[in-house]
Amino acid sequence: MAVSILISFTFSWEVYPAIALMIGIYMGGVYGGSRTAILLNIPGAPSAIATALDGYPMAKRGEAGTAIGVTTVMSFIGGFIGIGVLALAAPLVSEFALTFQPRDYMLLAVLGILLVGSLSQGSLLKGIFAGALGIAIGAVGRDPLTFTERFTFDLQLMEGGISFIAVMIGMFGVSEALLQLHHVHTPSLRQKIGRILPSLATVKKHLPLSLQTSTIGVIIGALPGTGGDIAALMAYDHAKRVTKAPERPFGEGAIEGLVAPETANNAAVGGAFIPMMTLGIPGDAVTAIMIGALFIHGLNPGPMLMIDQPDMFWFIVGCLVTANVFMLLFGLTGIRLFTKIVEMPRAVLIPLIMLLSIVGAYAVNNSVSDVYWMLGFGLFGYFMRQYGYPLGPVILGVILSRLLDDNWRRAIISEREDLGLFFHGLFSSPLSTVLFVAVIVIFVSQTPLWARGKAKLFGKTEKTA
Amino acid sequence: MKRSLLGAIGAIALTATAAVADYPEKDIQGIIQWGAGGSTDTVMRSVTPHAEEALGGSIVLQNMTGAVGAIALNHVAGAAADGYTLLMGAENPMLYKVMGLGDKDYSEFTPINILARGTPMLVANTDAPFDSYAEMMDYIEANPGSVRFGSTGPGGLPSVITAMIETVEGGLDVIAVPYDGDGPALTGLQGGAIDVMPAVLGAAIEGIRAGKMKPLAVFDTAASDKLPDVPAVVDINAEYNTYLPWGPFFGVFAPKGTPDDIVAKLSAAYATGAQNPEFIELMEGRGYTLMGISGDEAEAFLTKWQQGTVWLLQDAGLTKTSPEAFGIKRPGE
Repeated sequence: MAVSILISFTFSWEVYPAIALMIGIYMGGVYGGSRTAILLNIPGAPSAIATALDGYPMAKRGEAGTAIGVTTVMSFIGGFIGIGVLALAAPLVSEFALTFQPRDYMLLAVLGILLVGSLSQGSLLKGIFAGALGIAIGAVGRDPLTFTERFTFDLQLMEGGISFIAVMIGMFGVSEALLQLHHVHTPSLRQKIGRILPSLATVKKHLPLSLQTSTIGVIIGALPGTGGDIAALMAYDHAKRVTKAPERPFGEGAIEGLVAPETANNAAVGGAFIPMMTLGIPGDAVTAIMIGALFIHGLNPGPMLMIDQPDMFWFIVGCLVTANVFMLLFGLTGIRLFTKIVEMPRAVLIPLIMLLSIVGAYAVNNSVSDVYWMLGFGLFGYFMRQYGYPLGPVILGVILSRLLDDNWRRAIISEREDLGLFFHGLFSSPLSTVLFVAVIVIFVSQTPLWARGKAKLFGKTEKTA
Repeated sequence: MKRSLLGAIGAIALTATAAVADYPEKDIQGIIQWGAGGSTDTVMRSVTPHAEEALGGSIVLQNMTGAVGAIALNHVAGAAADGYTLLMGAENPMLYKVMGLGDKDYSEFTPINILARGTPMLVANTDAPFDSYAEMMDYIEANPGSVRFGSTGPGGLPSVITAMIETVEGGLDVIAVPYDGDGPALTGLQGGAIDVMPAVLGAAIEGIRAGKMKPLAVFDTAASDKLPDVPAVVDINAEYNTYLPWGPFFGVFAPKGTPDDIVAKLSAAYATGAQNPEFIELMEGRGYTLMGISGDEAEAFLTKWQQGTVWLLQDAGLTKTSPEAFGIKRPGE
């Protein structure tokens, strides 16, 4: 969101430095969100929500340095894969992204909702409740398709909906600060001063996973309307499914739990530029702002930009490469200093978290009511945690609410509200069919039925072997 | 105690009079009704630096989104009418009352400058089974309920254009698929999720140039010099002359009650800003028609625009409350 604040003072600049600045902030912001997620359990950006799940447990074991090191290197790798795809295959990927119909977006959102299973540590029922709550929060306000008021109770304050960032900062930031109050006198953790840069062997070991999750990142990033936040969560889920024997269980500090979301969200940066550069269609909120900036600077963002001004395309690719390299350099400097944050006495740390939460919630929309929402959700999040309700699904619900709701309605309206035609449509294109089958398989694989079936199957194979 | 209070009041009164003479003596807040990167945002951010130069002051632009722009409108309407809070808006507020979206419109404001107006047009997916406006109408008649039109909710440009077509040509049996803005809808058009989209020329022109969508007709009284090969809809059916030219517009507004000399200063600044060759080039490149009107001319334009549009929507059955309830007369009455 820093990009939207910066745009106003770049528009009097020359176009090249203006674009370079915005790209730097974008790349840095996607990576930087992981820092607070690991150290404080507070994601600094929506795309770092999944990073906190295993990053913070590592910091609690005194391995914050290692966690940041892995995150930085993996972000760098993910970032480069995203840029590589942008530079080499942009037209191909954008053609693919365009084939996504409303029903495909809906299926994608359903796939996202199924992540509730892997985000609820503990009770699945509580996770489902939290996810449903998130979807309801996302629906508050005037519906953007019909302008009908939903859950607004005739209050003008509610008409604009509830800021997703305010919910996120409150649920993670404030509730964490409140929770830490219980341990205000416990001496803080000593961090191990060990190796920070992951060994080549570690990188090599996780390379296959990072390639897979980067692919997820690029594609989700390239789809208009979905970005790094959904990509990171889906990548986390993917890692959980494909990693047969993690060194540590997920949720307790698994390296794979850092590798997956961090490669995916940085790969999504390159992905988001694909539809922007080839079609003039924003891949996410930040590229939407950049399209506006290009227009202000007298360029015509659209499918002809790459033909009329190919230098702009390569300039953007160049900026992304530079930003990615500096992200690695800056990311790896001062890690030991950053890990001291965790060692800070809580009496100092807690007020700081509260202060930064308030500033952050206010700055997004310059709105004081967002600060109240943030504090309210902070308090609510604190009680949810106390009663063992996971917070991840709430945020997931808020992120996916609109994607699911809008596209379901678009899809069913397109078929003249005929459910039969809608199901027929699911099998009319290979993409829809694949997504539909994926939804069914993932859903069934989370039910006890599957576990029993699998046990039987494995039991048999063991006997025969 | 009493004396200091009186003194304070005196000081406030003094600064108030001084403010008019020295205006602006602090930063002016410009509230943009729509999000960063949108068309209102880009237009305002490109003209404002030139206006600042003419004004000799600084205008800090800020996006305030939500509730189809009503949040920004209410915010500025409720701010002090001292010329330090301005609204950078588009046409939507003129429809809030009849659409049940709010109880305020630009009648609560003094127009500083209505900068430009967009030209609507119809574009179609390249694979659509028709290549012109006439063919499209024939196809819709032959295949009722199969053509998908994009829409952006009640009161948006597509709903007005669709209402116009229905008024002129009779009922259209098409499916209206709602999107949250013309950008996402045009994306859907290119991917084949919708067949036809009524959009502003500036949003579609790059896609047309690249052959990603095909133009059917321009909704104006003459063809656009940006797309000279695309026919103006009045040349196909002269009855459209009743409603055209029509288009979404962008304007700068101050709350009603702002001192006249401040309004005059701001109007002059924006008039100068809008003359800037860079701005003109930018706007013409996107197919906008520059207007640059203020004062009574702008008031008259707003009244006429509102009358024409709300009654069109009323007759198409799209309004929540009749325009009569707000004293908005039928055009010509």
